[in-house]
Parts: sequence; structure tokens; C-alpha cells
Amino acid sequence: MRLWKSWIVTKKDLSVFRKNKYVLYSLIAMPIILGVVLPVIFIFALNAQISSVQLTHDQLFAAVNQIVGLATMYFVLIPAILPSIIASYSFVGEKIEKSLEPLLATPTTDGELLLGKSLAAFIPCMAVTYIGAAISAIIIDFWSYTTPQIGTFLIPNPYWLLVIGVIAPLACIMSVEANIIVSSKVNDIRAAQQLGGLIVLPLVFVVIFASTSAQISTLLAIGVSAALAVADIALFYLSKATFQREEILTKWK
Amino acid sequence: MIDTKNLTRKFGNLTAVDNVTLHVEKGEVFGFLGPNGAGKTTTVRMLCCLIGKTSGEAKIGDYTIDNENDCLKIRKMVGFLPENVGLYDSLSAYRNLDFYGQLYEVPENKRRENIERLLTLLGIWERREDAVGTFSKGTKQKIAIARALIHDPQVLFLDEPTANLDPEAAKTVRDFILELKKEKRTIFLNTHNLDEAERLCDRIAILKTKLIAVDSPKNLERSLYNRKTIVHLDNVSSLVVAAVQKLNAVKNLRTSDNKLILNIDDPEKDNPEVVRVIVQAGGNIQYVTELRSTLEDVYLKLIREASAQ
Repeated sequence: MRLWKSWIVTKKDLSVFRKNKYVLYSLIAMPIILGVVLPVIFIFALNAQISSVQLTHDQLFAAVNQIVGLATMYFVLIPAILPSIIASYSFVGEKIEKSLEPLLATPTTDGELLLGKSLAAFIPCMAVTYIGAAISAIIIDFWSYTTPQIGTFLIPNPYWLLVIGVIAPLACIMSVEANIIVSSKVNDIRAAQQLGGLIVLPLVFVVIFASTSAQISTLLAIGVSAALAVADIALFYLSKATFQREEILTKWK
Repeated sequence: MIDTKNLTRKFGNLTAVDNVTLHVEKGEVFGFLGPNGAGKTTTVRMLCCLIGKTSGEAKIGDYTIDNENDCLKIRKMVGFLPENVGLYDSLSAYRNLDFYGQLYEVPENKRRENIERLLTLLGIWERREDAVGTFSKGTKQKIAIARALIHDPQVLFLDEPTANLDPEAAKTVRDFILELKKEKRTIFLNTHNLDEAERLCDRIAILKTKLIAVDSPKNLERSLYNRKTIVHLDNVSSLVVAAVQKLNAVKNLRTSDNKLILNIDDPEKDNPEVVRVIVQAGGNIQYVTELRSTLEDVYLKLIREASAQ
């Protein structure tokens, strides 16, 4: 497989996505809502509690841990959900523009094409995830450091690092591959997104389980991450096996 | 350059292409004529390695369409213009061509040079940075042709290149194909525009699932009826008729009003003799014309016969 060929496809797809307002707004909106707005609301709620009710040290740290846990969880859900929006465009978008036939006529292999399309969905999803996670971490840390009862930085911690650094990208790859399989099988974006949404649901449970395991034990989290990585590789090969140029070309509506 | 032997493609129980055997010479413009659903696009897709065959053989140059490695080489050496232009509307004309140039592995300098040359030739260079979505259908078609040529392919497959274009845009595209013909590229032209096929192609194949006929446009036109010479006179006298009937070259003679209608095997050779004999017999010739069938007559006859079978 020639990675530079895949990268050409990735760059083109990223250029197309950049010009698509729907994709852009979707990419920006979810991290802002889940990663920034919700933690701010929780912080305000907790601040109100701190000022009105005398919380014990344990109660306070339990509440703080909940906020950090939720904020971390959101940033593993975001890369699992976002690909249903962006990856559904990868092949269906080409079908709509009728650009898949000339693309398939180029000396590019199925693997190169699929990897290029996968990267084009993975990169923006992970980019907004990390930007959102960084902003969220800054907000939470600023609050925790300036709150006298806490007075310390809460993020990054080992749990946050494992989830954001390992589980989130693995979840994203899984979602991207699943959505690309769907996208290469259907003919319109809505169907791709609806089916993609359905696929994401079980994925969300997997991701929640993986994140929870990270809270329970590091060893368990490593095991779950390895399982996710194996599943990602299997999904890539499955997408390659199910990607039939002929079916895509002859079953266009 | 292009060879097929009993090339067949079935979709379930439906046979889209049935035992097509043809040979296209290097530098030839080969027209592929047929009604909708005749199997033209399926044939081109098989030859471009976009879909597989059910049976038979096909080669482009030295490469067979069966083998995955050969397919990559075939895709690299052919340019393909599909029926739908399939450009990225949100990207500029330049970016569209640059993307395909990269996929066809054209070095950067050559790519830039080719894009400039092609867009200038097609009169779009000034608008190279405009989004393709802002262009007319005709201009998009020109860009799609430029895309098919971005890697200087030896073989060019054009699927209905002037379909849905206004007459002016269609003429521009046809003129461009004529320019490519001068460059001695092998061009495989799918069309149901008979006039276009006649003007552009060295040879034409008529397809309706099976290959019905392959020949030059002239020979196809002649194949329907024998060539007839019509001599218009101010008056057809019995002396003139008798004199013409004596000629060995004249196979069949009949009169209609003031016209003599003659069947002659080799009109270019024998018509001067016919004219001389008529004048000697006192005939006063107004003009001499040839009655020949058009490509449309031949096409319709062959397609109807194929449909009736």
C-alpha cells in the first residue's frame, strides 16, 4: 500500500469538507456543547452548592471527580459519534457528485482509497476532540485552581490521559471504519447517517465500558484498549473486503 | 492497442455484453455506437478495469484486464471520461485537475505544465481558480476531458462526450477530439450521435449487446444499398437509354422523370464513361449525383434487425 496515495485522497477530502458548512458546523458544535458548555454548567452548579451548602472534603472531591469523569467521557463519545456525520460523506458524497467512477478509474488500490477516506474522517474528528478536550481541561483546571477548597489542577490525570490519548482515537477509528462500510453500501447521505447513527449506538456502549474500565483498573483498561485496536484492524480489513468497486458502480441509482 | 475476444458480461440472468470481439489500432479513433442499454458503457468499464468480465479476454496494450497488477497499469495508461463529469463542485478547476494528476502519478512540474496547457487549450485558464460548481455544463465537460488527459494517456475512453451539451459546447468538444486525433492518440468513443461518429471516427462498431458490424463509416454507408449514380437530363431519350445499357459497368438501369438511375460497382472509375456515352448519344446532362444510404439508415436497419432476432 502506498501511503502517499492515500494522503492525496485525504487532502482532497479535507478540502471538500472544509467547503461544506454542514460538516464544519457539526464538527464544531458537538465538542463545544459536550465539552465546554456542559462542564461550565456543572461547575456553576457545584459553585452554587459550595457557597450555599457546607460540603465535606470527601463530598466535594466526589463531585469534582464526577465533573472530571463526565468531561473525559464526553471526549471519548465525541470521536465515536462525529464520524457518523463526516464519514458518511466519504463515499456517498462521491456518489452524489458522481465523482466515484473517475476516481476508481485512477491507478489507486481499494486499500489506498479506503485508508485515504478513513484518515480524512479521522483527522478532523480527532482534531476537534483534542481542541475541545484542551479547552475543557483549561476551564476545569482554572476553576479548580482558583477554588480555595480545591486549589489544585485536576487535569491531566492518568485516567484522562489514557482515555483521551488511547481510547478516544481507537473509538474514533472504529466509528470511522463502521461508517465507511455503511457509506460505501448506501446511496444517499441521510440513509448513511441514519445507519451510521445506529452503528454508533453499540459503539457508544463499548466506549463507555472502555472508559469505565480505565477508572477501575489500568490493566483492564490496557486490555480493553488492545481489544479495541484489534477490532479496529479487523474493521479496516472488513471494509476492504466489503468494498466492491463493481457493486458501487453498477448499483448506483 | 485494444483487443477483445468473446468479451462477455452478465448481470444475473441479463447479458449486457455478449461475445464482443474487436481490435482497435494504435492511433485509431474507434466509435462505439448503440442504443441505450446496448452494453457500450459496460464494455468501456470492463476495458478500464472498473468492473470484471464474465468470460472472454481483453487486452489494452500488453496488459490483460483479469490481473490486478495489470489493471493498475491499464488504469495508468488510459484516460477515462465517464458519462457524468464527476468533478468536485466545491473545488477549483485547477484543484480538481491537480488532484487527479497526483493520483495518476504525474510529477509536479509536468502536472502544472499539463494543467496550464489543457486549460489554455480549452479556454478556461483564466477561470482556473473558480469553483467548478460555478461553471456551465459545457465547461464542466471540458474540464472533465482535461482530467482524462492530465497524464498524457496513450488510450482515451470517452463515454458520450457531447451528450447534454448545447451545439456550441458540443462543437468545441468535437473540435478538441479532432485535435487529439491529430496527436495520434487511440480514442474509444462511445456515442449515439451518428453525425459525431461519422465525423470523428476512423471505424465504427455497432453494438446491441452483440457486435453487429464493424467498419469505416463510408463502408458501412455503402453496405446497405449498392451505390447508385443518378444522371439528371433535360430529356431522357430512347437513344440515351440504349447507349447506356450497352455499357458493361452498368448493372441495372431505370428511368424516373428525367433521371437515369444506374447501379455501378465502381462509380469513381466508370461514371466518366457513362457521361461520355450519354453526351455522344445526344443527351443534355444537367448534373450527376450519387444516391447513397446514410449512416443513420445503416444504423437503424442493423439495430432493427438485431432487435427482431
